Amino acid sequence: MTNTHEHVVAAAVAALPLVGPQRLRTLVGGLGAVDAWRTIRGELAAHDHIAALLAQHDLRRIWRKAATDDMLTRTEQSLIDNDIAVVLATDPHYPAVLRGDHAAPAVLFVRGDLNVFQRRRVGVIGTRAASAAGRHFARQIARDLARNDVAIVSGLARGIDAAAHHGVLDAHDAHDAASSIATQCAPPIAVVATGLDVVYPREHATLWNAVAECGVIISESPPGCGPDAFRFPLRNRILAAASEVLVVVESRAAGGSMITVEEALQRSITVMAVPGSPHSEVSAGTNHLISQGAATVCDATDVLVALGLDHRHHAASTDTRVPPAPGERVVLDVLAQRPLTFDQLVAQLCLPITEVALRLGRLEAQGWVVANAGWWEALVRR
Amino acid sequence: MFASVRSTTLLGVVGRAVDVEVHVGIGLPGFTIVGQPDEVCRESRDRVRAAFLSRGFTWPNRRITVNLAPSGERKGGSGLDLAIAVAVLIADEQLAVDVATKYAFVAELGLDGSLRDVVGAAPLVGAIRDHRVVVAGANAAAARAAGAREVLIATDLAHMVACLRGEAQWQTCDDAEPQLPDDKLPDLCDVRGQPVARLALEVAAAGAHHTLLVGPPGAGKSMLARRLPSILPALSDEQVLSCTMVHSAAHVAMHASGRVRHAPFRSPHHSISLVGLIGGGSAAMRPGEISLASEGVLFLDELGEFAPSVLDALRQPLEDGVVHVSRARTTLVFPARFLLIAAANPCPCGAGTPGICVCDDAARSKYLRRFSGPLLDRFDLRVSVGLPKVDDLVDGVNGESSAMVKQRVLAARQMAERRGGCTNAAIAINDLDRFAPLAPAARAMLRRELEVGRLSGRGLHRVRRVARTIADLDGAPDIVGEAHVATALQLRTSLTVLSGGRR
Repeated sequence: MTNTHEHVVAAAVAALPLVGPQRLRTLVGGLGAVDAWRTIRGELAAHDHIAALLAQHDLRRIWRKAATDDMLTRTEQSLIDNDIAVVLATDPHYPAVLRGDHAAPAVLFVRGDLNVFQRRRVGVIGTRAASAAGRHFARQIARDLARNDVAIVSGLARGIDAAAHHGVLDAHDAHDAASSIATQCAPPIAVVATGLDVVYPREHATLWNAVAECGVIISESPPGCGPDAFRFPLRNRILAAASEVLVVVESRAAGGSMITVEEALQRSITVMAVPGSPHSEVSAGTNHLISQGAATVCDATDVLVALGLDHRHHAASTDTRVPPAPGERVVLDVLAQRPLTFDQLVAQLCLPITEVALRLGRLEAQGWVVANAGWWEALVRR
Repeated sequence: MFASVRSTTLLGVVGRAVDVEVHVGIGLPGFTIVGQPDEVCRESRDRVRAAFLSRGFTWPNRRITVNLAPSGERKGGSGLDLAIAVAVLIADEQLAVDVATKYAFVAELGLDGSLRDVVGAAPLVGAIRDHRVVVAGANAAAARAAGAREVLIATDLAHMVACLRGEAQWQTCDDAEPQLPDDKLPDLCDVRGQPVARLALEVAAAGAHHTLLVGPPGAGKSMLARRLPSILPALSDEQVLSCTMVHSAAHVAMHASGRVRHAPFRSPHHSISLVGLIGGGSAAMRPGEISLASEGVLFLDELGEFAPSVLDALRQPLEDGVVHVSRARTTLVFPARFLLIAAANPCPCGAGTPGICVCDDAARSKYLRRFSGPLLDRFDLRVSVGLPKVDDLVDGVNGESSAMVKQRVLAARQMAERRGGCTNAAIAINDLDRFAPLAPAARAMLRRELEVGRLSGRGLHRVRRVARTIADLDGAPDIVGEAHVATALQLRTSLTVLSGGRR
């Protein structure tokens, strides 16, 4: 997908200072990118409402100063360098689901394949400071839904978002490995706040590339935009609009996830929540949503039903793990009650340390237990 | 007239022999010291003169020039006082020319003519072992510990002159080492429960593995660390000497015998400066805590509170076992063969337990950024220490005593010594296959850890060395089994969720 001159100009307009989604819609949506650029440059006379816009806050002077040929070249170069496609709201391949939205971005920056938007889509979101259990659940439900050809929309943030994307990638790896399986496997969709060349958080660089390669990453921020705080709530509206059903895995009483929920409710999008312990702070938001009438999610079936899909053929993940040996079973049973450190485990089992280490190592190899910063947790159900 | 007398000065942790030359000649009365004396050294003019007058010696009212040879190096300290006084006496013909040829003098003079002890007596005397060394009484033990052929004690200048003339007897300290009571080291039997931490300590002692203890406040991390010296092997004579030199040079209190008797244990506060830890200083170069801990244990409590630059400075000495401190005038080498034990909390709130910890991601990652990856990588053992169980604290029986653990440690150390001539922590990478061959199941386990990306290449070698030590302690001197590798992996827990749990 190569960018035409019009697309590059639209990207340049988006990159002008003080241009937000609304002004961009007025400029590019109202005039077309090329005419908007020429108006800003003063080469065309401005229409009434454009003139009114230009009169605000000295914008005419600021924009005319910024809108140079040099900027156009730089924008084009960074689009080419980072392999970013520009999609305008008027383009035929602009995602249909966003086109109908009242606050649709006029210009989208895309890495990957936009056809993913033609699948059924479920947003999986949650807090960045998630618990191990929450991350585990997000990963599992994303994997199960992807296997049932439902595309997962998320935000590539830390915590739940990353776990959800990892889940989709897990499903893909398994799918690629067993290519004989006839079922479809839906690719991931990521909606991010920064420019597509600015990986945030930085430790997600590998995940970011994997998602772009396998599915699609979209953003309304032009290349080079950093993680400014105001971009995240704006991103959340696109994330909400791109989902058919929004699943909140874990959220505090207030935060970015709740903003996404607000945006979803404004658009009459079904919001579902994963129940959690009343003692857990990271489940306060989701429990509140449930008390307000949100449907609960306990596994992928709940979501498939909400989407009106046939859940009876739901390709549930089958437990392929080797059953633990009797000695290992003892260790697993103890861990199933609550997470323990190795130290506590040894104290509780009254076995030689080397023996406990050996059993734990084998259980981990088969996927029955995971280590979480020095704490061992059992994964009895998958 | 001219005289030359032997003395010594301190350069870091070694003494350097100095010839104190004095010329008393015609000219305007005056006293000059040349040969790069420092401030303290220059002041000895006034001390020597006052000592002369208070003990009834005549001060030569002529031109006195003192040269400290070799004159190219900087001299410091007050230990040259006595030598200057003797040289002046000889040059002024108050003493015979050849009385002092077999002697060396290391002492400061008081204004009343008394002999005072000096800092760094052991390394100072170590540079002039073949002389008959005259020191103050308080330095006699250190001088003997440094291996001087004959140690002579004088009380004051008059007494010493009388002895040199043969009119009085030197005081000597008797050669037999006085039977002094041993220091009481804290014993491991005080630690109740904590089986994993105890094992880690044993492995650390047996293989000389650097250890990081991670746990909430009150878990007993410091208590465990302080008990490490009690299970380390006794120091060899050579090690005792080098430790004594460093301690003496840094003016650190020692056992009454003037020697370091046990593996040293140093526990600097986390506000320590880089120079304090590594060594250096502007006036006189002083060994740092890592040199004082050489042949023993350096314990860094609250590792997260140390300045990151200070911690990163540890990386090179950890690899080399010595530290080169370079300044504009000099470069000195200090020993730094220490066993590093560090303690840290798992997160800022200290709890660490999932569900109880109240730290959010940002606070946690900010805290973890304080530990540089390369430094964490140098810990062979990273053990999480949990809070002791109430039952153990209240009703529990005492743990195994240090003496029993030490026996196993010694046996394992001997095994390692016979195998490779070094401790297990020091096995070279290309010797690992020869000294620590893996059983097939153990190999498979390590391969899986590497494949899931939880173990780095460097981590692999460290785990193999630790597994070697665990096997040695387990009485398996040949093949390293699956259980040993599994235990070594457990003793190297990751500190962080954010790092993806890399070991």
